[in-house]
Amino acid sequence: MLKFLKFTLTRAALSLITLLIISFIVFTLMEMVPGNCAERYLAFKNTAGQNITILDIAAEERRLGLDKPFLVRWGTWTGNVFFKGEFGESCILRLNINQILSDKFWISLGICFAALFFSYLVAIPVGIYSATTTNAISNNVIRFISYLGLALPNFLLALIIMLFSTIYFGESLTGLFSKEFRDAAWSLAKFQDFLSRAWLAIFVLGWSATAFAMQTVRALMLDETSKLYVTAASARGLYGRKLLWRYPARHSMGPVINSLGFDLNRIFNELPVVALILTLTEAGALLIEALARSNDQQLAGAIIFLLTASIVLMNFITDIMLALMDPRIRKGLIG
Amino acid sequence: MTLLTVENLTLEFDTDEGRITAVNNISFEVNSGEVLGIVGESGSGKSVTAKSVMQLNPSNSVYSSETKILLEVDGESVDVLALRGGKELRTVRGGSVSMIFQEPMASFAPAITIGAQMVEQLLLHKKISKAEAIKISIEMLDKVGISDADKRFKQYAFELSGGMRQRAMIAMALSTNPKLLIADEPTTALDVTIQAQVLDLMKDLVVEFNMGIIFITHDLGVIAQTADRVAVMYLGELVEQGSVRQVLKNPTHPYTQGLINALPKLDDLDAPLTPVPGDIPSPLERPPGCVFHTRCALAEPRCSESIPQMTNHGEGHSAACFVTAEKAEAL
Repeated sequence: MLKFLKFTLTRAALSLITLLIISFIVFTLMEMVPGNCAERYLAFKNTAGQNITILDIAAEERRLGLDKPFLVRWGTWTGNVFFKGEFGESCILRLNINQILSDKFWISLGICFAALFFSYLVAIPVGIYSATTTNAISNNVIRFISYLGLALPNFLLALIIMLFSTIYFGESLTGLFSKEFRDAAWSLAKFQDFLSRAWLAIFVLGWSATAFAMQTVRALMLDETSKLYVTAASARGLYGRKLLWRYPARHSMGPVINSLGFDLNRIFNELPVVALILTLTEAGALLIEALARSNDQQLAGAIIFLLTASIVLMNFITDIMLALMDPRIRKGLIG
Repeated sequence: MTLLTVENLTLEFDTDEGRITAVNNISFEVNSGEVLGIVGESGSGKSVTAKSVMQLNPSNSVYSSETKILLEVDGESVDVLALRGGKELRTVRGGSVSMIFQEPMASFAPAITIGAQMVEQLLLHKKISKAEAIKISIEMLDKVGISDADKRFKQYAFELSGGMRQRAMIAMALSTNPKLLIADEPTTALDVTIQAQVLDLMKDLVVEFNMGIIFITHDLGVIAQTADRVAVMYLGELVEQGSVRQVLKNPTHPYTQGLINALPKLDDLDAPLTPVPGDIPSPLERPPGCVFHTRCALAEPRCSESIPQMTNHGEGHSAACFVTAEKAEAL
């Protein structure tokens, strides 16, 4: 038990170090964007009709601390992020990034996790069934639906569903909140309203994730089922569901857990396109906006850092889960 | 006492390329307290033959209607191929018949302790409590010579050495008191000294439990040490059968002769190795007539036309070859 605690703490420390390295990479990338925050903001003001001089830029750089050396700036940024959870100000909007992001990031993460959760909830039993059934018809139906999930672009699926809902139910499913809740504080009613709309985004994202996860589970199951220990177990008199769940199914879950972090990232990457169609306000679209349109390096950096931090956290959790499930890993790590 | 009777066993696999004959019309018996060795190259059908006793062959296997596999269980004769469904099959799967495999590492589930797998099997086959099952398992581990049995009981297969794993596998196979043990190349993956220990252990256990053993191997040396009787298989056919002494001292089928000549000779290290010429043909292209004629030095035209029947050479020693049968008669 003590050893397991030690293992958990080591993993947590490693995750923190990873985060530190990530913060350095993210910060360096932010700095590599041509021009700095001061120039960008003043140029932005310039287009608004104000006259800007070199002196103004220098004064702004001093105010933002941009005249200090690179490592000091990195240290300040990282320190603020790690200890205060502050990402500073957006370059263009001059607003606190934490305020800009506030709900958006959590909503995005929530949608991604929900999509991930539901996709595995469906993919694991269906994938196992598909790998073991001898019923050709149901197997082909499952495979057809799953290929559709892999092949059909998410945005198309979202459009089709919206079209149907508008024609047949006369209801537009766009947005994440009804009008009356849009600017309201979080409450149970607002949460219910959110769920009544978020399911579509979760469903659309979950569909392809499910198809992907199902193919993984199916392939892993086929692999495990043909292994000698399964034959050996049936030679000992096990059969049916007991044999299936205790032997191949249990042993194929390791790689499935391992792929969770990767899947979270994939879903997050697909989110902006879906969000655009459904006019959701979420962080992915904001990231694209910040990166591609306004060159808002502070904002983009914050989102990228938060996203990678979520993936690091996810990997930390899967590491612990794997160690709990697989004695080979557990014993190898903690003796 | 005859424990297992296999008559006219013919097994084909139904595949996309058509029916593939894996075993063709073979018959043999195993008595209680006796070790029957089955020898042959890979692909000769020896594992398939043994697995059919437990109906462990894949679902595309087709047994011919003449095939009879009868197992004596408590004075009753059980028609193995008539057993249907997991519950009925338990009689031959872990109940009266147990099997140990070539790779002990791969035959244990990696993420379940050895003890849990043993207890699970015992609870499936015996009406005993879990506590009793644990006690029996630890006793069995102790009996097969595993030190610290109660500690090993809680360990996983990857924590044990190769020899230890195979001992644990034997302990698990014997814990339900089977009448017949099938050992599919149980020592092939072990090094020579461990192999000798495991073979000794198995020989002791046959006597103690009065079981029958089917011992599958490609190693004639191992057969000479362990088996009482031996059956030689080639491309799904039984080509020679008899007591170990008869078959090894007096091999009658050219294939058996070839196998014995192919053994490296420790007393004459300069002697060239004489392998059986050619390769075992694909089961998709079974030669007509005697299946061995494509590699046989004694082959005559009739060998590719008609199939030789088993000829008795006395005292249960028989072989399926035209040429050597006539030679024996001429003597």
